[in-house]
Amino acid sequence: MGFRLMMYLAVILLGALIGARVKIGEKLSGRLGSIQTACLLLLLMVMGIKIGMDSEVISSFFSIGYSALVISVFTVGFSILGVKLVSGYVTGGRK
Amino acid sequence: MTGKILGAVAAGVALGFFLLPGWVLDYTDLIIDIGLMLLLFFVGIDIGMNRSVFGRIRNMGLKIILLPFMIIVGSILGAALAGALLGMPFNESGAVGAGLGWYTLSSILMANYSNELSTLAFIANVVREMMAFIIIPLVAKKIGFLGAIAPAGATAMDTGLPIISRATDSETAILAFITGAICTFSVPIIVPLILNL
Repeated sequence: MGFRLMMYLAVILLGALIGARVKIGEKLSGRLGSIQTACLLLLLMVMGIKIGMDSEVISSFFSIGYSALVISVFTVGFSILGVKLVSGYVTGGRK
Repeated sequence: MTGKILGAVAAGVALGFFLLPGWVLDYTDLIIDIGLMLLLFFVGIDIGMNRSVFGRIRNMGLKIILLPFMIIVGSILGAALAGALLGMPFNESGAVGAGLGWYTLSSILMANYSNELSTLAFIANVVREMMAFIIIPLVAKKIGFLGAIAPAGATAMDTGLPIISRATDSETAILAFITGAICTFSVPIIVPLILNL
């Protein structure tokens, strides 16, 4: 995982370096946003394909899906609540 | 955005389940890795174009650690409460929540304890990741930018990051990466810890 983390960090830093050095106009910036959204939706579709093709995941989902869903909803809900409780303190009152 | 994300994931699951041949699965990981790198590169460009965020984040200091801490505490407590409703022991449901969306590792960590719990950890964390993708834009809009980091948990540093970046701003994207990294490093420690309580 350490290697992956470093790889992600390196890619983000490379992008940040380019973003900081190269002057990107408003038009190109808007186009980059659209490309980013298209890539994101494609990535999510491929992740969906991976899940849809995994017969073990699909069959397990039908047998223990209810428990998994209840745990996930509570996990997500309480983690949002936890962050909400401290967000004002972390940002010093800003959004 | 939430509708588009839901549509993309649902279309993918339907395509994978009903239409695509088995060999496609050999390439999905590679496509996901390439797509993710490209998206993280775009996140980097956004950050580079808004350099003032670094000063603001420096001002927050160590308070940033509260974000992953509250995500971990909230996830474990939420899962424990759900477990109580489902009639599960605290240590088992809490450990499932402590997976923080990292489904592969959390299920491996529980494999020696119980096969059934390992499968539940896998599915629950897959569902958490998918749920995170869908609700992040909604949480960003209705609850706040920092709240949008929470559903992603450990995935806030990789697969969840591009969505958080699109739904929020550069400052939140950096905080999400730091939060996701801390959550990721916490999973192998807290899952066995909770499981053995």
